[in-house]
Amino acid sequence: MTDRTAKKIGVLLAFACVAAGTSWAADVKSLTRELFVAPSTTGNEDILAGKIRGLLPRGLPVEEDGLGTMAVRIAGAPGPTLLLAALDGYGHMVSGITSDGYLTVDRPAAPPHARFDAYLLGQPVIISTAHGPVHGVVSQPAMHLLTQERRKTLVENFSLENAFIDIGVRSEKEARDKGIEILDSVTLWPALTELAGDHWSGPSLGLKAVAAVLVAVAESLANEQPRGETVIAWTAQTKFAARGRGARPALGAVQAKAKWAPSRTVIVDVIAAGKDGKAPVPGKGPVLVRPKDETSALRQAFERAAAGAGISFQFLEAANSPLAIPFAGPQSEVLTVALPVQFLNTPSEIIDLKDLQALRDLLERFLKTGGGQ
Amino acid sequence: MTKRLSALILAVLFSGTFAAGQSKAWDILREILLVPGVSGHEGPVADFIQGKLPSGYKVQRDGMHNVWFTVGSGKPHILFVAHSDELGWVVDKITPDGRVRVKRGGGMLAETAEARPVLIHTAHGAVPGVVAPRPGYDNRRPQADAPEAPFSPENFDIFLGVSTEAEARALGVAEGDSVTPKKVLVDFAPGLMASRAVDDRAGCAALIDAALRLKAESYRNKTVTFAWDVQEETGLFGAAELAKTLKPDFVFAIDTFVSTDSPLESKRFGYLPVGKGAVLRSVDSSNVTPKTEIRKVMAIAKKRGIPIQVGNSRGGNDGSVFLAGGAVDIPLSWPGSYAHSLIEKIDRRDLEALTDLILAVISDWK
Repeated sequence: MTDRTAKKIGVLLAFACVAAGTSWAADVKSLTRELFVAPSTTGNEDILAGKIRGLLPRGLPVEEDGLGTMAVRIAGAPGPTLLLAALDGYGHMVSGITSDGYLTVDRPAAPPHARFDAYLLGQPVIISTAHGPVHGVVSQPAMHLLTQERRKTLVENFSLENAFIDIGVRSEKEARDKGIEILDSVTLWPALTELAGDHWSGPSLGLKAVAAVLVAVAESLANEQPRGETVIAWTAQTKFAARGRGARPALGAVQAKAKWAPSRTVIVDVIAAGKDGKAPVPGKGPVLVRPKDETSALRQAFERAAAGAGISFQFLEAANSPLAIPFAGPQSEVLTVALPVQFLNTPSEIIDLKDLQALRDLLERFLKTGGGQ
Repeated sequence: MTKRLSALILAVLFSGTFAAGQSKAWDILREILLVPGVSGHEGPVADFIQGKLPSGYKVQRDGMHNVWFTVGSGKPHILFVAHSDELGWVVDKITPDGRVRVKRGGGMLAETAEARPVLIHTAHGAVPGVVAPRPGYDNRRPQADAPEAPFSPENFDIFLGVSTEAEARALGVAEGDSVTPKKVLVDFAPGLMASRAVDDRAGCAALIDAALRLKAESYRNKTVTFAWDVQEETGLFGAAELAKTLKPDFVFAIDTFVSTDSPLESKRFGYLPVGKGAVLRSVDSSNVTPKTEIRKVMAIAKKRGIPIQVGNSRGGNDGSVFLAGGAVDIPLSWPGSYAHSLIEKIDRRDLEALTDLILAVISDWK
């Protein structure tokens, strides 16, 4: 083989690799599967952020803020449109180590509902340490030794006060030797279940799916630049509320507003679906949240983009996502579009893959046609 | 030479006389844990057990899927029995909107299955589903003025991803199919894990391993039966069926010792630590082991250098069914934390000590 032939083959191989990489990265299902296994709770977003960074097209510079939010900027006419999703999910963290090696548990932010902590009882969990994942289980009394009365109240009376994680060690030292530190995240075992009818299920699946949609959109825009400048941000600490007077918006969103000062913001969030047969319904497309009596050029542009691409979506008259609060004001427009998630904030969040693809296609179309400029 | 070293050498020498080869119990356990076998639906796990047994034994199986074989002849007749069934549910009906309702199964806290994945074991293979969370699960605060119905198998349903009964049936789901939680093997460290169905798949694995390592000279002048029985969790029914034909003098039920080795339970009762050896259950909910037999087992374990603990706890055992026929019941175990949960914990050293103890008893029992 001559040097010239070898070079040609090398170039062809490199091209094939890039092409294969592009096609893989644009597959929102594969991206979701990839991100699903990465834990991410408020204040502990670094593993998911690292995964996203690794999946983004090379050459897109990544911007960050002090909280751990990361973003990519895709050039276009100035005055950015910000596409923003949460990087953090609800979850728990290590709050201490007992002398006999069990871990105590706390959470960094208020739970989404009253039953949230009780989902830990008797479950496998992952503790994400600086040395890697540590497997554990949340202790549960042996059923044979419980009175009928105590069985009935075991879950109702469960609280973080009696949540202990067993990591298979006998002393605090052994726990520390495994790499356990205070504030390490504690998340449910990331078991993805593929159900019939294009449904997937798993803990924090909605969050990861939305993060994957934004990666897919970034990939697509990087290949074919949008008309307007676009910043795509995965925002840390959104479950933690900023303090101060009046409304208490998501801290990560407040910082994102200050850093990128967008004139138009599209919040991409998750929304509870399929409850008691009411709208929104899983499988009927992404949900455009419409606050009462709101008229917005941004929303109209969004609807036009969807209609132009033949993508169906659902309307829901409701308050905007909490992530949208900092962006509302006379100088900027904001709208919320959401992925419908059944059994939201349970260990088995369910998404419909048709909704996932439609959300990706809708955002891509919207941004490529001007992003509401 | 120290006393400890002498004891070690003696133990090694003795160990060669009753057992062949290294224990494979741990690897067998990791396989058998994932085989479905809800009480009354033990066909697949019975197939697994039969498939693992050496071809030289005359293995029998009845219509309930009890599996057993007998070797040797003469007295005493010693029976080892472990139960192959596991906790779970059975499909009761399919609703018009394609959800699956189940019948109650024994012993597990239903709330730990809420919003969790399950597998429905159909004639066409396993179909995944999710136990739907209770209505209003996401209320910000508990509704104190309107007490909820308990979350129990009678009132939960399983979502399969379909929206009609016809679609559910097209997946192969039918009334009578068994349902298990989707299992996870949690490895804390090499040789220490937690999973659903360690009770009593660890007992099954110990017996399979013992059968594989059994030497003919160890059961000279005695009769030894190995049995894997069914429907223990729902009332010792498989053992009752075996007791109609098997008349052992001694029965060693191989099942979990319900240990309080956890941060939530009092260590003043049922506390035998995980990792400290096999267990002899002196008292449980179904049997009191005679002190004479406890001493015999302890002496054998000591002679062989097998770590063993003795304790009392709760829960029944299959050996108790044979008491009425005149047998002496001597339950052997491993210390198991979090019994009847999704996270039953076991240490490899305990399982291998149990297997060694079974083989030593066969060899030395008189």
